[in-house]
Amino acid sequence: MQAMTAEGLAAAIRSGERNAVDAVEAAFARIDEVDASVGAFLELWRDEAAERAADIDRRRDEGSPLGPLAGVPTALKDNMSLAGHELNCGSRILAGYRAPYTAGAVERLVAADAVPVGRVNMDEFAMGSSCENSALATTRNPWHPAMAPGGSSGGSAAAVAAAEAPLALGSDTGGSIRQPAAFCGVVGVTPTYGRVSRYGLVAFASSLDQIGPLARNVRDAALALGAIAGPDPRDSTCSEEPACDFLERIEDGIEGVKVGTIREVGTSALESDAARGFEQALETLARCGAELVEVSVPLVEAAVATYYVLANSEASANLARFDGSRYGHRAAGARSLAEMYTGSRSEGFGPEVKRRIILGTFALSSGYYDAYYGRAARIAGALRQQFSEAFDQAELLVTPTSPSGAFQLGERVDDPLAMYLSDVFTTPTSLAGIPGISVPCGLDSRGLPLGLQILAAPFAEGTALRAARAFERETGFECRPEAVP
Amino acid sequence: MSLGVEEVRRIAELARLRISAREETTFASQLSEIVDYIDQLREFDGGTASQDDTHAATETADSDLPRPASAADGALLDQFLDNAPASLDRFLLVPQVKATPGGEE
Repeated sequence: MQAMTAEGLAAAIRSGERNAVDAVEAAFARIDEVDASVGAFLELWRDEAAERAADIDRRRDEGSPLGPLAGVPTALKDNMSLAGHELNCGSRILAGYRAPYTAGAVERLVAADAVPVGRVNMDEFAMGSSCENSALATTRNPWHPAMAPGGSSGGSAAAVAAAEAPLALGSDTGGSIRQPAAFCGVVGVTPTYGRVSRYGLVAFASSLDQIGPLARNVRDAALALGAIAGPDPRDSTCSEEPACDFLERIEDGIEGVKVGTIREVGTSALESDAARGFEQALETLARCGAELVEVSVPLVEAAVATYYVLANSEASANLARFDGSRYGHRAAGARSLAEMYTGSRSEGFGPEVKRRIILGTFALSSGYYDAYYGRAARIAGALRQQFSEAFDQAELLVTPTSPSGAFQLGERVDDPLAMYLSDVFTTPTSLAGIPGISVPCGLDSRGLPLGLQILAAPFAEGTALRAARAFERETGFECRPEAVP
Repeated sequence: MSLGVEEVRRIAELARLRISAREETTFASQLSEIVDYIDQLREFDGGTASQDDTHAATETADSDLPRPASAADGALLDQFLDNAPASLDRFLLVPQVKATPGGEE
């Protein structure tokens, strides 16, 4: 059962060849078998998942049509609401918080008859690139237990790579779906800004946050994206663009499609294995029939700095709500409201969250606002324009997903800037609001996966998925991590 | 530019964060390094794009329209209150705004 794709499993359950109840049981058996060494899950929802699965089987037996993800066990990142369940966002400050309502994307997932099986680990408030900033658990890369799974959706990527669930939802603000997908050898899709509702997602940086799927292959990712995308009046930034069937043309290939590399994406940031992996990926794309061109997006070089100003400025405002008054941790013994605010926040937030709030507060503070936030905002606008012009010359753009394969746990925790620089290839597209997919492109010399990032113009996820599928077919990559066979 | 311990403490206060003396020193050095890196943005011309243009590649003009009014669900309020560290009737309970001299609540 664990080797089945989400698509295959759903089809088997719809046809009655398999039962959702068995699929869910098999997922929990696999989690029980391997999660002690992976550490992806923070909480399992065994009873509710079993009930949901039984209901799916019953509806099928009664002759009702089932959704496209019928009975597919799915992991949710710990920042998405599922009514009645605890949600911690990887933080102590939200200990004990129970979601009063269900996130829009999760609602759609469940309406498609997927079965949420539990919530998975993440960097606290999605701030990090290794999952090590989680206050709750350590997640290990299924390919090697000493390696980071990436972040911030490290739990989502690890759970899928370890075959604990065929699907997971993650969220991406500056690479948090794509980088862990690359590190764990799975497919991760960050959709266009506005494609998927963020209602019920804990906000980090609202102009950048997006929800997207992680899966073991491109078709499953496309299926899941089609299920969760679409308008939601409860998220005012959610686009009116209707949901579409991303599988419809996914096997059409990319013969004659212009695929651009970005001149200013320096290969100097790349480790030699990753550079070689990217070169090979370009050859593979050429074999798929793509016409390779070079385009210019000069401001990508400013992306990491721009991103860390904007994202942290927004975070400093968004995280002001965690003050001990309405939910989550409250410091004991405060004698005034201000003391309660400061005490609750100081006790509840971990060091990286504090660092980023301070950085964001600095960038927004009187005397520095124009030099930091104002300038970064102008650069982000210009970067978006440059991407738009690049897409006049090439239908798709490609970069490595990350400068290297997975790094070691502990290697960068004391050097935040080094951690930030690992987002060099993913932050530009977040700033531009365009979709990006990470698809596995082989292994490095240590036997760890590398990712190819495929970018498209706004709402052209279908084209990017088609290219990712053609690429996957050509490479024949299979996610078989040795540490959790 | 570099951030000193004093500056870090001042900003932390603005953000309602209390940090230890050791954290102040670590943060000052780490944040100085980060701000130094960010200062490279001076070299990039942001061009003519307007500042409010940071948000969204998507057209969200329609969403400026108010959505239709609908009745609030009282049950949802109860669930919100269940999450509150302290509540009284249907109100959140918090310490008084000003500390009482002598430290009594």
